[in-house]
Amino acid sequence: MVIWSRIRKDFPVLNELYDGKSLIYFDSACMALKPIQVWEAMEYYYKYLGACGGAGRSTHSLGVETSLLTEEARDKITRFINAKSSNEIVWTRNATEGLNLVAATVPLEKDQNVVTTTLEHHSGMLPFFKRCKETGSELRLVKAKEDGTFDPADFEEKIDDKTKIVSFVHASNLTGTVAPLKEVVEIAHEHGALVVSDEAQFAPHQKLDVRDIDVDFCVLSVHKACGPTGIGVLYGKYEFLESLDMFMVGGDVIEDVVYDGNNVIPKYLPPPHKFEAGLQNYGGMLGAGAAVDYLENIGMDNIHNREQSFSKRLLEGILELDKFEVLGPLDYKQRAALVSFRPESDAVNHNDIVEYFNEMIPNHKILMRSGNMCVHPYQYQIGIKPNEGEGVVRASLYIYNTVNEIEIFLGALEDFARAIE
Amino acid sequence: MSSFKERNVECILAILKKQNPATTKEIMAMRDLFPELCAGCTSGGDVILAGKELVEQGIVEREWSSTGFVWKLISGHNENA
Repeated sequence: MVIWSRIRKDFPVLNELYDGKSLIYFDSACMALKPIQVWEAMEYYYKYLGACGGAGRSTHSLGVETSLLTEEARDKITRFINAKSSNEIVWTRNATEGLNLVAATVPLEKDQNVVTTTLEHHSGMLPFFKRCKETGSELRLVKAKEDGTFDPADFEEKIDDKTKIVSFVHASNLTGTVAPLKEVVEIAHEHGALVVSDEAQFAPHQKLDVRDIDVDFCVLSVHKACGPTGIGVLYGKYEFLESLDMFMVGGDVIEDVVYDGNNVIPKYLPPPHKFEAGLQNYGGMLGAGAAVDYLENIGMDNIHNREQSFSKRLLEGILELDKFEVLGPLDYKQRAALVSFRPESDAVNHNDIVEYFNEMIPNHKILMRSGNMCVHPYQYQIGIKPNEGEGVVRASLYIYNTVNEIEIFLGALEDFARAIE
Repeated sequence: MSSFKERNVECILAILKKQNPATTKEIMAMRDLFPELCAGCTSGGDVILAGKELVEQGIVEREWSSTGFVWKLISGHNENA
């Protein structure tokens, strides 16, 4: 049994007053808070190691321990997503870098196409937009439906035998939509296309099993999973990682660079090391390992079940007020633990709403995100115009939130709705 | 060339010199008048950050109203801020 009040104590910022007020942190879809266990893992590296790790680097005691601990962290990520081998786990700076790596290096011919959706985070769309422009390939967009869900039939229409890769978000950071990824993977594979999924909003909240969904590549955002910033993960089936060219080259990616007849002949390491050029974020890797340990100790099913009941209350509470437009599906079972909304009256700018909850609530600071969440195309599609200053407010939940915080927020939202009448 | 943060501060000041006071929504609507200063403000979060910076410096004051925050250039800063 999980003692959730004990979990909350691992996040000291939530137990301190800020400007004399208690914090209610509803911005975990942007950045999750970090438990003590993650800081301690990183502190161990910076305090007691601080040395080079990785392929072919320092073999003294500190270097060896650094290498062993960072490879152990890679093993933890492997288990966390049920990859077949730790050789399928590439460390990156963040999820965006992983998506760029795939987009920039997947073999793509002019007569081939790439399929993505209007609901992608810009990081899942723009790297492929850019690559298609460079190769002259076609970028095909599957339209999310008005309620933010997808119809697999729309993918069947767009994916054909010339589709090289499908870039698809598993859980939307804007609408919260949990997409039918497995069905889309099946459609793509029937046509010989690869699939890269954006797991930034899914993997921190639900069990991700890459072998079950059979995705070819996926990216994780460690900082949304209680881990440190500046470290991300790219998963790829080994055969496909092998087939990709390098995104960056330099130290740490080679077995040798032969000098012969005034030529250089580099011999590159196999994956994952061929993608990890230069000295790495060793402290971040240890923090990432500690973060997935932390989540697995709680249990991903426990996290998902609790978040789903909280999401239900949050979603229904906002809808009951009947003053706000909610983006995405209205069935909480189809959603991740976040709700994006905006007042039905457009009198108040979305940034003001977030600032109101940050500054104007007695006794509490309720911290949310406003803006367009890096998903502009879908907002234009449903009539929200970022270029005219329109946007939404997003409340997102995680393991340290409580039902009492949701009730405080809903009460404050009701007061806010009255204040702008 | 001004930094990104400085440009946003200059953007708010330029708008408030044209219309003082102004709500956040009105400021957002006037950004197109100063495209070189107000670049990068699409979602408007930068407007709030820059406005708060000016409140901290005592150049602008801010009040809540039923139409959101109203930003006002404090007298004396109007000409030379």
